[in-house]
Amino acid sequence: MNAGDFLADLLSDIRFRFRAVFRRAEVERELDDELRFHLEREAAKNERSGLDTIEASRRARVQFGGVDRVKEEARDARGVRVLEMILRDLRYAIRGLRSRPGFSLAVIATLALGIGANVAMFGVVDRLMFRPLAYLRDPGSVNRVNLEYTYRSERVEMGGLEYLRYRDIARESRTLAQSAVFHNEKLAIGIGEEARVMNVSIVSASYFDFFDAHPVMGRFFDAAEDSMPAGTPVVVLGNALWKTRFGGRHDVLGQLLQIGSLNATIIGVAPEGFVGGDAGQPAVAFIPVTAYAHLGFPDYDKSYGWQWLFMLVRRKPGVTVAAAATDVTHAFTRSWEQERALDPRRETAAVGHPRAAVSPLQLFRDQDGGRDASIVLWICGVASVVLLIACANVANLQLGRAFSRRREIAVRLALGVTRPRLIAQLLTESLLLALVAGVAGVLVGEGGQAVLRSLFLPKAASVGVVDDPRTILFATLLALVAGIVTGVAPALQSGRGDITTSLKSGVREGGVQRSRTRSVLLLAQGALSVFLLIGAGLFVRSLHNVVSIRLGYDVDPLLYVETNLRGMKLTDSAQYQLKRTLADEVRTITGVQAASQVVTVPLYSMMSQSFSVPGIDSADRLGHFSLQMGERDYFRTTGTRILRGRGFESSDRRGSPRVAVIDEAMAKRLWPHENALGKCIKFGSDTMPCTTVVGIAEDTQANDVIGDPSMQYYLSVEQHHAETSVFVRTQGNAESHAETVRKRLQALMPGASYVTVTPMRQIVDPTMRSWRMGATMFLLFGLLALVLAAIGLYSVISYNVAQRTHELGLRIALGARARDVLRMVLGEGLRFGLAGIAIGVVIALGAGHWVQPLLYQESAHDPLVFIAVAAILALVAVMASAIPATRAVRLDPSIALRTE
Amino acid sequence: MTDTIDPGKLELPQGTLDLLILKALSLEAQHGWAISERIRQVSAAALQIPQGSLYPALHRLERRGWIKAKWGESDNNRRAKFYELTRTGRHQFEAETDAWRRLTVAVRLVLDMR
Repeated sequence: MNAGDFLADLLSDIRFRFRAVFRRAEVERELDDELRFHLEREAAKNERSGLDTIEASRRARVQFGGVDRVKEEARDARGVRVLEMILRDLRYAIRGLRSRPGFSLAVIATLALGIGANVAMFGVVDRLMFRPLAYLRDPGSVNRVNLEYTYRSERVEMGGLEYLRYRDIARESRTLAQSAVFHNEKLAIGIGEEARVMNVSIVSASYFDFFDAHPVMGRFFDAAEDSMPAGTPVVVLGNALWKTRFGGRHDVLGQLLQIGSLNATIIGVAPEGFVGGDAGQPAVAFIPVTAYAHLGFPDYDKSYGWQWLFMLVRRKPGVTVAAAATDVTHAFTRSWEQERALDPRRETAAVGHPRAAVSPLQLFRDQDGGRDASIVLWICGVASVVLLIACANVANLQLGRAFSRRREIAVRLALGVTRPRLIAQLLTESLLLALVAGVAGVLVGEGGQAVLRSLFLPKAASVGVVDDPRTILFATLLALVAGIVTGVAPALQSGRGDITTSLKSGVREGGVQRSRTRSVLLLAQGALSVFLLIGAGLFVRSLHNVVSIRLGYDVDPLLYVETNLRGMKLTDSAQYQLKRTLADEVRTITGVQAASQVVTVPLYSMMSQSFSVPGIDSADRLGHFSLQMGERDYFRTTGTRILRGRGFESSDRRGSPRVAVIDEAMAKRLWPHENALGKCIKFGSDTMPCTTVVGIAEDTQANDVIGDPSMQYYLSVEQHHAETSVFVRTQGNAESHAETVRKRLQALMPGASYVTVTPMRQIVDPTMRSWRMGATMFLLFGLLALVLAAIGLYSVISYNVAQRTHELGLRIALGARARDVLRMVLGEGLRFGLAGIAIGVVIALGAGHWVQPLLYQESAHDPLVFIAVAAILALVAVMASAIPATRAVRLDPSIALRTE
Repeated sequence: MTDTIDPGKLELPQGTLDLLILKALSLEAQHGWAISERIRQVSAAALQIPQGSLYPALHRLERRGWIKAKWGESDNNRRAKFYELTRTGRHQFEAETDAWRRLTVAVRLVLDMR
């Protein structure tokens, strides 16, 4: 049979079955007609052979065989029995669910929240940890290379590779099919008012060969354009930049575009979604690594001094990761020798012991992920707990429904529906609900991801949920699992019951076992919500502790102004003059309270200088001391307090005696038992004149937020030469002044140079991200869990009240007071609550061990949090049972006793 | 039903009903009753086919796309469902006829063996 015939057959088969299923009534009628026609013809023939009419048609029927059996066989022959069965179940399910919209909505909403939470998390985690880069060919064979060596018997990880190192390794290795480097850098694109700082990927030409991406226009650059020493100033635009900045026009090729210091010719446009090697920071343009390096570090092709590149490699077919690591280590060792030839001070390879690791591409899967990665994993766990709670809730609702339906089910069983068929029908119902919830969950996830994005992937381009097949697949799987999990228990239970008892008993009886399963589910919900809420409490307290750390400088009123000269050459004095002009100008802006030139920005950059102190042996080896410089207003600008002595004054000028302010930590380290004021520090060499300590400042967190305070010293900008930026203190929140300041200062910038103005908050916040993430997500999910648990408790209690209408009515009729009834119902709810609290507390105590490392100055067993959560849950339990309780109190015994 | 089984008639081997139907239809389009009549006449009533079993077989063949059905007027002006061979059906018919011939020849050879 040839392919065409096969296809034709397949089509006819499908058409036939389709008609058989969806035109069932019509097909059946035709079968009837056909068989009747046969019987009539046969009878007519018999009559012609001399039989009377009745005998003729009897003979015809006998000849034919059982009409019903034939029909049944004909249906089988259509090959659609299973499909028909499923469709029938589906129709039955839809009818059943539509008849109880309240129940269906409750189930769908609950599951949608649970699925939505997970869908949203999946999108983030998948992008950070699992999803290969877009367009990457055969991701399984691609790795990144990390280098490390030993220095003074300590392991040193290299933050990146030097360009020469990359060339050495590419040349010396034997197991690599491809290698490339890239580096992402924030660069200004455009000039003057148009200039915007954006994330640019600086890549080797070989980088593009890793991908199955084709430029939508023009081309990528090639090895000739990315050659030592100077490369060619060309740029490939990212698709997003092309669309937003160039309106997707086709005449951009050949135009010039200023990128950082590079005046580059546009030669191509990358396809959509091609955003470089770091999912967290999509690149808007691609420039050759040699062209960029030549401008920024002209010696890059002659010396090993600039560790800035991230190396991608593709292993040759059949090469394991371990084999590649051995090979690259070997290549690194060769390269080490090359470096030693240039710089004999380098220790030998035997001492430095250079070695390479070949690791997965995704940054988050590496040890670098650190706290962020473990927080993200925790939050994933929390999201799945939320789904678990949602499932428990739904299973509970389903069980309740199954019990109220058990007579209907018993009737169906008595009518001959087999138990497997019954279970299949009930499962169809819960699967249908779960799939609808899955669709709703995707929408919830889409909304939720907007929130998550701002927390985890602040700089990422839009990451959709609805249009992402991986996420949709994940949501479908979740929905199926949820449908089965929530449907199985009720279905099995319904299939198990004894028909006669169910039929004979009224609604009142036979609830004992029901209560047990439902109670277990309810307890699980309560316990898990307690667990999540305790987590939330701990993380919120921990975040509070982090945020209230006194950094030693103010954050909200500070702006940080940086200049970028874009390769323009200015003399030292011209530079100094420019900064002075800027600082003077900024002080005239309304809303600006103070400004000072600085050389470093806390948590962002640091500097140090060797010094000596008379009477202390190698003082600058006593710890890590960091340098800041400022003008007269420095301390007023940053809000750093002077504890003793004075800050800088206008008398501290060039030529006047050199002065320094040091912080308390440094004072204690250098002069533990003496007053540091008036002491002498010699910066540079010990032949330099004394710099006198004139003030002691409060400690600051200059290098990290939660570590020990940095030992920092402050020198006067006026008395030293240095390249500076400017700190500006504004009235109120600095963010609102940022644009005004930028515009005023930009007007003073010569040529293509430009200023960037960054609120200090933007530098501090990322360092607190993991705490904020933990607190926000735990709180969000904890509250979600609480709401679900409250709904669950409410539905169980009110169901129980409804079941006990008769009993309660009897009690009231016999004289029970409202208070007694109230206490009885509330007591039931509270008992559930308390048991849930107890179990949840035990789980939380057990898990404390793993949570502790993620908390800051907060015990994982903080009694305050535990007590608060217990109180909240008890309150919620009472509130959830209050409505059914009041309903019970208002029962009219005469009506209650008559209901069945 | 059993009262109609004549000991002189043959039971049909599994799967041959399809072949007989295809043969009957290979000459012209026919409705179900006519097919059964034709087989009865041609086989000189030697083949015992429960008439009812014809219809599931027809539906199965239709699903496979070997025959197709359309409603038309019968010779006594009644509405009847006519079946005819499709192109695939004709190929199949030829292939199966051929296979059947070879099978019977082979079986006879074995049975006639001395």
